Amino acid sequence: MSGVEVRAVSKRYGAASVLDAVDARFPEGRFTSLLGPSGSGKTTLLRIIGGFVAPDGGRVVIGGADVTAVPLWKRRIGMVFQSYALFPHMTVAQNVAYGLNRRGIRGAAARAEVGRALELVHLTGFDARRPKQLSGGQQQRVALARAIVTKPRVLLLDEPLSALDRRLRQNMQIELKRIQRESGLTTIFVTHDQEEALTLSDTVAILDRGRIVQEGAPADIYEHPRTSFAAAFLGDANFFRGTVRGEAIDTPAGPIRIAGALPAPGTAVTVAVRPEKMTLLSAGPDPAGNVIDATLREIIYAGAVSTFLLTGSDGAEIKVLSQNRDLAGPAPGARVRLAWAPAHTVLLAD
Amino acid sequence: MADTATGATLPQPSRGGWRILALLAPAYGWLLLTVFLPLCAMLVFSFLKTTPFGSRQPLVFTFKNYLAFVDRPYLVNVAWTSLQLGLWTTGLCAALGLPAAIALARATRGRTRQVLFLLTILPFWTNGLVRVFSWTMLLREGGLLDQAVHLVWPGAGSLSLLYSFPAVVIGLVHAYLPYMILTCYLSVVGIEDGLIDAARSLGARTPAVFTTVILPLCLPGLVSGAILIFVPVIGAFMEPRILGGRIGVTMGTVIEDQFTSAYNWPLGAALSFTMLAAVLVIFAAFSGVLRKRLAVA
Amino acid sequence: MIPLGRLTLALILVFLYAPVVVMIVMAFNESDLYALPLQPSLKWFTALAGNEKLIDASRNSVLIAVITAVLGTAIGTLAALALARHAFRGRSVLQLLLLPPIAIPWLITGTAMLVFFYWTGIGRGLHAMILGHVALAIPYVVLVVGTGLQGLRSDLEEAAMSLGSTPVHAFFAITLPLLAPSLIAAALFAFAVSLDQFVVSYFLATPGVSTLPVEIYTSIRKGFTPEINAVSTLLLGASVMLFLVFAVLTRMGEADERR
Repeated sequence: MSGVEVRAVSKRYGAASVLDAVDARFPEGRFTSLLGPSGSGKTTLLRIIGGFVAPDGGRVVIGGADVTAVPLWKRRIGMVFQSYALFPHMTVAQNVAYGLNRRGIRGAAARAEVGRALELVHLTGFDARRPKQLSGGQQQRVALARAIVTKPRVLLLDEPLSALDRRLRQNMQIELKRIQRESGLTTIFVTHDQEEALTLSDTVAILDRGRIVQEGAPADIYEHPRTSFAAAFLGDANFFRGTVRGEAIDTPAGPIRIAGALPAPGTAVTVAVRPEKMTLLSAGPDPAGNVIDATLREIIYAGAVSTFLLTGSDGAEIKVLSQNRDLAGPAPGARVRLAWAPAHTVLLAD
Repeated sequence: MADTATGATLPQPSRGGWRILALLAPAYGWLLLTVFLPLCAMLVFSFLKTTPFGSRQPLVFTFKNYLAFVDRPYLVNVAWTSLQLGLWTTGLCAALGLPAAIALARATRGRTRQVLFLLTILPFWTNGLVRVFSWTMLLREGGLLDQAVHLVWPGAGSLSLLYSFPAVVIGLVHAYLPYMILTCYLSVVGIEDGLIDAARSLGARTPAVFTTVILPLCLPGLVSGAILIFVPVIGAFMEPRILGGRIGVTMGTVIEDQFTSAYNWPLGAALSFTMLAAVLVIFAAFSGVLRKRLAVA
Repeated sequence: MIPLGRLTLALILVFLYAPVVVMIVMAFNESDLYALPLQPSLKWFTALAGNEKLIDASRNSVLIAVITAVLGTAIGTLAALALARHAFRGRSVLQLLLLPPIAIPWLITGTAMLVFFYWTGIGRGLHAMILGHVALAIPYVVLVVGTGLQGLRSDLEEAAMSLGSTPVHAFFAITLPLLAPSLIAAALFAFAVSLDQFVVSYFLATPGVSTLPVEIYTSIRKGFTPEINAVSTLLLGASVMLFLVFAVLTRMGEADERR
């Protein structure tokens, strides 16, 4: 068990650059998600760490040792594939024992390890089944048991939950988190599902076009996205563009204040506000903070919450997420006022 | 997801070039020696004046063999016979094969369909010669077909189909019909039930559903089936020989004669290449449809 | 429309099988003029047992088919592995080059082989027929094994390697066992292609060394003899057996049941 580091890793496929001098650290025993849209290079990065793909440049370091030239089968990693990649001609026990056998552990010792691993994933008694006889979630857990039974130095997960339906996926998220905690494995998890990344990870790294654009604890990167890509990809965001004038940012929607320090006056800036941070004001005096005018266009009711789609005074679309505490509210077409705290206004770097 | 999919299935393009070469060399080396070089040799042969059997004379080249159709007008008739055989066989196979394929795909289910499907393609695996031979017993004068007819109508004369053009067509249809059923079947099973329901919901009656939905979607299967049949049929020589007797003079039998009895190999080679050219033209004309078929296979 | 289709299907099956059934029945008929009513007899099979020429030809047929199955499967599988597993320049051209042995009329392929083998001194006979039969089998093997490989997820070998298998071990422990049904199916197919092959054998056989289909053709051209029914029945039986095993191995006809 040990930390993983990639230094200036690059990969091109033909003319397309998939990874562009990526640096990243995956601390020992921590759960790190690589989050990004299709084509962001997150899977390629994972496959380079595992040794499935050779990088064009840069180094991969596991537990302090440079493994860039070490072939896949000597890297001692555990990998869970998106498709599970269970060996269809072997039983569950044989699948799980495969890696142990390759490391010279056989017989009773191997059986004991297999038993422990299956117990960890709650599949005790499934030893003799074939992969085909298992449900998707069960196959998923066999794949996990197979990957962790050899006590790899790092556990790599390639969108392992994407093939499961929603409810099962939520259960497996909890399971996965528990198993990772109990095994204490350094884990790198690739996903394009932001909710999954936020729920599971100690650290989330957001990738965009072959670069890591932001890295941090889930709450940190959600509350303080650095770029508009990070703000838009992880959760929803309303963007306001404007110019710094004195104490506030002058935007077409009105002046907007932020909590921190502003750049020099005259600088063009973009700020982001999360939809759930905004409130629709009822009649009465305006609170302190940011207040803008808007016209309510549509209400999307979703049980516990409703999404309000509004048009700002400058014509831009604004989204507000609100808990349905009261039944009464404005109707579409109404002119409303939106308020939020300066502390919830995030100044973006681009 | 797109990026994971390509990452998992596309291996490194450059790595292991020698390995790929080593894997491919036996197969393509073999095909080079037994198919491609022989075809080249035959091309050279087709320009020779005489067959160089053992003699040490210098080779004399000529275009004369390719003028065979001008020099020997009867060859035009032979080619016409081959073409007619090809058209009749292909047409009958299409007329019988398409409805059978539709029935197989849409009117059967489960185990029945499985058995029927296997029964339709089983003939692929049996010797064509044996199957043609079996027809001789049915078709010849006083054969089983005659006997059967006489049971119903004792006064009837002999049908005496053997050694006639229809006999050859029957034999060829028998030999090649499974191809048409198979290619059409592959097209028909691809049609979703929803499409037909959709057509019905839009007011199409059964004939309209057939002509506007099923037929256009079967067209690729029909075309590839037709090519798979037409090409070998115009080169057939065994079926015309056995079922056609003296009537069964086709391009195939003429070419066979050049190699096995007339020993005019250059002429045989030139006729083969003329036919090959015709085949290639057909393939080229329908290459789009065929490529789609092969991609499926 | 559907009852009409079913009727067509039924008539077509009758059309396809009636002559074959007649031939088989006649193989067991005493009369050599195919006279009815049937007088059951094994006379023609007994006659067959004494026919050296047909027995020799049968032996050649089986020998060639076995060699074709082994060589064709080995060579074709290697090519299938390269074609299915690797993306490289010229792959589609190579795939296209598999077509001529299947698509060009055998008459042309066979005569071309005759010309070339004669010219180069390879000559005719057993070895020439093996050369030709393997060439015809290779494209089918590539197709069957290639389809099998497509059904195999490429990440299985990766998974094995991530668990400590070397690429060679992963191939033998994972890919080969999973590919076995396809390999057996391909070998059976190659065997059947060779066993039933007439045209190419016909041009490459010598008067002394021929195969069963060539002998059958020669006998038919010389005149009828019910012995041919008997031997054809046996050949047919062998083909059907091969087909049934092939169908089970490739789960043919079941694929479309998943709808």
